[in-house]
Amino acid sequence: MYWSELAWLIPIFPLIAFVVIGFLGNKLFKKAEGGGYVAIAMAAISCFISLMVAYEILSGGYPGELFKQSLLWINVPGQDLSFTFNIGIYIDTLAALMLIVVSFISTLVVIYSVGYMHEEGEKKRRYYAIISLFIGVMLGLVLSSNYLQMFIFWELVGLCSYLLIGFWYTKPSAASAAKKAFLVTRVGDIMFMLGLFIFFVGFGGNLDYEHIFNFNFEDFVGGNSMLTLGTFFIFGGAVGKSAQFPLHDWLPDAMEGPTTVSALIHAATMVKAGVYLVARSYPVMVETPDTMLIVAIVGGITALMAATMALNNPNIKRVLAYSTISQLGYMFLALGTGGYFFALTQEANAGYTSGMFHLMNHAFFKALLFLSAGAVIHAVHTEDMRLMGGLSKKLKITSLVMLIGCISIAGIPPLSGFWSKDEILASVWETGAENPIFYLLYIMGILTAFMTAFYMFRLWFMTFKGEPRDHHAYEHAHEAPKVMWVPLAILAVLAFGSGFALFMGFGEAIVPSIEHWHAHSEDIAGILTTIFSEWQTYLSIIAAALGIYLAYLMYIKKSINPDVFVATPGRKKVYDFLLARYGFTAGYDWIGLKVVYGLSLVVDWFDRKVIDGIVNGFASITVHLGNVLRKGQTGFVQTYAGVVLAGLSLIVILLFLLGGLI
Amino acid sequence: MIAIEYFLGLSAILFAIGAMGVLVKKNAIVVLMCIELMLNAANINFVAFSAYYGNLTGQVFALVSIAIAAAEVAVGLAIIMNLYKTRDTIGLDEVSLLRW
Repeated sequence: MYWSELAWLIPIFPLIAFVVIGFLGNKLFKKAEGGGYVAIAMAAISCFISLMVAYEILSGGYPGELFKQSLLWINVPGQDLSFTFNIGIYIDTLAALMLIVVSFISTLVVIYSVGYMHEEGEKKRRYYAIISLFIGVMLGLVLSSNYLQMFIFWELVGLCSYLLIGFWYTKPSAASAAKKAFLVTRVGDIMFMLGLFIFFVGFGGNLDYEHIFNFNFEDFVGGNSMLTLGTFFIFGGAVGKSAQFPLHDWLPDAMEGPTTVSALIHAATMVKAGVYLVARSYPVMVETPDTMLIVAIVGGITALMAATMALNNPNIKRVLAYSTISQLGYMFLALGTGGYFFALTQEANAGYTSGMFHLMNHAFFKALLFLSAGAVIHAVHTEDMRLMGGLSKKLKITSLVMLIGCISIAGIPPLSGFWSKDEILASVWETGAENPIFYLLYIMGILTAFMTAFYMFRLWFMTFKGEPRDHHAYEHAHEAPKVMWVPLAILAVLAFGSGFALFMGFGEAIVPSIEHWHAHSEDIAGILTTIFSEWQTYLSIIAAALGIYLAYLMYIKKSINPDVFVATPGRKKVYDFLLARYGFTAGYDWIGLKVVYGLSLVVDWFDRKVIDGIVNGFASITVHLGNVLRKGQTGFVQTYAGVVLAGLSLIVILLFLLGGLI
Repeated sequence: MIAIEYFLGLSAILFAIGAMGVLVKKNAIVVLMCIELMLNAANINFVAFSAYYGNLTGQVFALVSIAIAAAEVAVGLAIIMNLYKTRDTIGLDEVSLLRW
């Protein structure tokens, strides 16, 4: 009896919670936080099973380190066309890692929600129902054994994010943000679907991971160029879901939802699905270095661009949203780098591992940061950092845990963010030897690290240090209740320490099966020596430290006045350009208003004039013909008799002429 | 014995006259009479062929046909009576209500 055999229960429990909370009415759960306790219990059970399963897989407890189980769903045998779809479970080390991250963070977020959503009244039931569904489908996505099944869960994740971002749907901005998130990710979803079509044909009508990963890529229908297109489209799906350039603009707007939802979307569920998709497709992706290069470049651009947008935003949640986009960019950069290097040299570097490592670390510190921000918002009832300040006196625990999160994301050793970020940058530099473009990406990565440190500490200093700028809010601020700060404390410990997984064999555990890669040094001292004997490590630390120092100078010591950045019209223009998100919001609107609307007008014209024209034409021909023909109905009996006689005569004559009668 | 062609010729002429009358006459009673002409043209044919073949079936048919014609005239005259009562006319060119 292995725990892995119970893996099918993992998504079931939150789904049960969804059904129970969602359909059993308000009255039953009026006392129990609108079903919040049911959601917690179910999430906790599935978290427990997840952890046991993940431990079993990661520690090699299950023979073969890979658990597979599947049921036949559709099977169409045939000579030219035959295909098979299965429904099943596929847990390798990657899925195990995702299980830990998703289930653990989701559980903490749900617990935290009990405090945060306490004042929402009857709406709570809807909240807990959807959030349970969200957790369930995300776990289902992670456990899927084939692309089709993943796609189904993928769409459900999109649906849940739509419902949760638009939780306060009476607010127009929330409603439109939800729509935006849904529509923008839809662009990616369509690409994902196209990729699946190509895979479906190319891999002979079977989308099982097992089938695809063991496929002989020489036999791919359509050849390598088609495979490249397929992987590119698959990556396109990830771009939409993970908010990468140029489909990133929905994520900052998604901040309209409750902060807990943001934490869930950013740390555990939604956006991690894209990274997971690319990591999952890794054995296919490494066959197509062109796609991997695109992945790396998109990741690098996104990381840098999102970081610049975070520099001057006054909204505490928006800053965190940009930082999520930026960190996701890092992950894609890492995955692209690792895959590209492997595709060219057939030797593994740390790209893939560090990307996944960063995913895990990011999940912990981003959940921590968002939930801390939630605690701050809960205390002062505003999201505008310009109205905060000096809150560390009031919110002692929150300020402390958030500081840990900030240091972690900034990349200061020995906190978790440092280890993964450093490893990513090191592997990017290494790949530079194969393609000089990676040197450029490396520089972008370092710049991003600098900016990350700056904006995170800008956020922290503006929120917690200095003089309170809004005294009314300051007076009413209070520390979060226990149900909120306990999850924060747990996350803080993990944000501090999850990086040490590197010393516990993370490198060896999370290695794609195709790469027979072993970490160079097994003991802690060896790893440390490797890391700290390279100048790149010091460069990234220095970049982070400079960022923090700059933030310190600007917001604590005030020796640099932040106003210098808007002092001249030119600088002001840059400042506004960043606030306007590089014009992407306007760009999306332009696409929506001009391109789509223009196209719609054309289609509308076609529909009205051509399609309706044909239909109406038939109708009016019939009407006119009828008008002509009805004149035949004179009403005179003798006319009819004449017609009958004429017809009869005609038949007789024809019979005479054509024979038969005589 | 009169050759059958004469009977058939007479019948054809009667039928043609009847048909012509049905098509062109305005008076409904005249039209009814013309229909009788056509029916009787057919009866002549029945009887002629019956005599020609020495088979009595044709004559029986002629009798049935006469009976039906009587019934038909009764119905037709009743309709014309009603027409006259409601419209004060029996001119077929004046009754064209059932039209476009």
